[in-house]
Amino acid sequence: MSYYSAVMTSAIVNIIAILSMYTLMGLTGIFSMGQAAFMCVGAYATGMLAIHSHLPMAVIVVLSILAGMVCALLVGFPVVKLRRDYIAMITMGFGEAIVALLNNMSNITGGANGINNIPRKMTLWLGVIILALILVITMNFKRSKYGRYCIAVKNDELSAAAMGINVARVKLTAFVFASGITALAGSLLAYTTTYVEPTAFGFTKSIDWISFVFVGGVNSLTGTLLSGMIFCTLPEILRFADMYRIIAQCAIVLLVVNFLPNGLFGEHEFTDAIAAIRKAAKNRKRGNL
Amino acid sequence: MNILEVKELSIRFGGVKAVQDVSLSVKTDSITSIIGPNGAGKTTFFNLISGVYAPTSGQILFDGQDITGLKQHQISLLGISRTFQNIRLFNQLSILENVQSAMDARATYNLLDSIMTTPKKRRIDRENREKSLEYLRLVGLEKNGQDKPGSLPYGMQRKVELARALASEPKLLLLDEPAAGLNPTEVEEFIRLIHKIKETFHISILLIEHRLQVVHTLSDMIYVLNFGQLLAHGTSREIIENRDVVAAYMGEDD
Ligand SMILES: Nc1ncnc2c1ncn2[C@@H]1O[C@H](COP(=O)(O)OP(=O)(O)O)[C@@H](O)[C@H]1O
Ligand SMILES: [Mg+2]
Repeated sequence: MSYYSAVMTSAIVNIIAILSMYTLMGLTGIFSMGQAAFMCVGAYATGMLAIHSHLPMAVIVVLSILAGMVCALLVGFPVVKLRRDYIAMITMGFGEAIVALLNNMSNITGGANGINNIPRKMTLWLGVIILALILVITMNFKRSKYGRYCIAVKNDELSAAAMGINVARVKLTAFVFASGITALAGSLLAYTTTYVEPTAFGFTKSIDWISFVFVGGVNSLTGTLLSGMIFCTLPEILRFADMYRIIAQCAIVLLVVNFLPNGLFGEHEFTDAIAAIRKAAKNRKRGNL
Repeated sequence: MNILEVKELSIRFGGVKAVQDVSLSVKTDSITSIIGPNGAGKTTFFNLISGVYAPTSGQILFDGQDITGLKQHQISLLGISRTFQNIRLFNQLSILENVQSAMDARATYNLLDSIMTTPKKRRIDRENREKSLEYLRLVGLEKNGQDKPGSLPYGMQRKVELARALASEPKLLLLDEPAAGLNPTEVEEFIRLIHKIKETFHISILLIEHRLQVVHTLSDMIYVLNFGQLLAHGTSREIIENRDVVAAYMGEDD
């Protein structure tokens, strides 16, 4: 794998993780400050299965997603009934606990050394295909009754419940759905970097993701995607020194949040542009007749 | 037959007895109104029936079933729908989606149907969109379906809420001051709309209003609430002639 495609592949993996934050923050208004822990779960599940079993990659990826979703179900069940600000705190606590647990179960997870020598089975094209798939799935989720449930719950829980929407269940569904995608990103990460170690998945990573989503626009999947692309590739391509990278990142976040409180994209989606072009084309045709 | 039967309902918030031993019944296919000055406990009474609060004591029977202490969404799914005094629409959903949200809660497709956009999902969503548009047409807002609720003036947002409440196909509709802020012509139009809704959907309506003039032509039965307690109930003629009620309204002349 060339340097360039290795950078792109790992960027794509991180973009997938960031997209999972869109369902949580953008659609449902849940701030999970421990979301990176589900990436950790996915990565470890893949690492262990890839080393200790002879299962094919596809099966291992699916099992890793399921592992992330089961963890999300266990964490989410008590959490979704809490107030939103508590949800942020408690998910952070759970996230740190999961990472610490994996760090300490050294006989099966390798402890602080992590797991090494995972076969490198990720390719750039596989990444592109999975990213496209996740975009389609997330868009379909948004455009179904679940997307409308989530937005209704985010806008007004009392009113949503009065319409017959089970608010706690909607939050749990969004949390488990999103965490499945986060765990998928973790699984792909293990296949990309060939090793996993627990320290990479602390709450600072989750907070990074939250700020990226804010820059793109909490209410826009397109914005989240583009923001993910910028933040996951720019530093690698420009080869910033680490310190400057953090300063640049903070500067961008502060500028955008100050001057564009709804992020770069607001509520707009890429598909809006297509719809607008179609409409314009239709009008022009009518004008010609 | 009574669609709703409330027995000695009470709730206390700390020291405030917001609703105290209120008993009330709503006849099937009738319009019943609750009137009373501001702070009388009318909205709190609705919040109790619709499950926002669990009562401190008392019982609520809906369609013969005890619904006391059930959750909000459970009560909604059983067939009680409501509007809010301070309009509570979903401001990031379009007006059409707001109405559709009530039907979504009853839609039968699952998560897998959603992420794969199966024909079943597409069919149900399409049907619900068309039905939602019908409800919007009923309140005269079919042209505004794609806009956000915030783009409408207050009075029209109330109509969206009404359409949304109807979209859940309730047996009992709770309307909290639906005519607030309307001018006299609009009030007349509103009264016609309520009659039309009752005739079209054969539903029972329980309506809060703090002006007696608005409800007396509309209501089969009127309950008067004051300081959380039931002051009187009867037909609108009986209520107008009731001295206690007149006394409670002294100084309240809007
Ligand atoms: N959640 C609550 N907590 C404390 N007090 C409340 C709450 N809800 C209502 N009340 C009190 O109950 C009383 C009745 O209020 P409300 O039902 O809104 O009156 P109305 O709708 O008749 O104007 C008021 O004194 C109000 O302050
Ligand atoms: Mg009120």
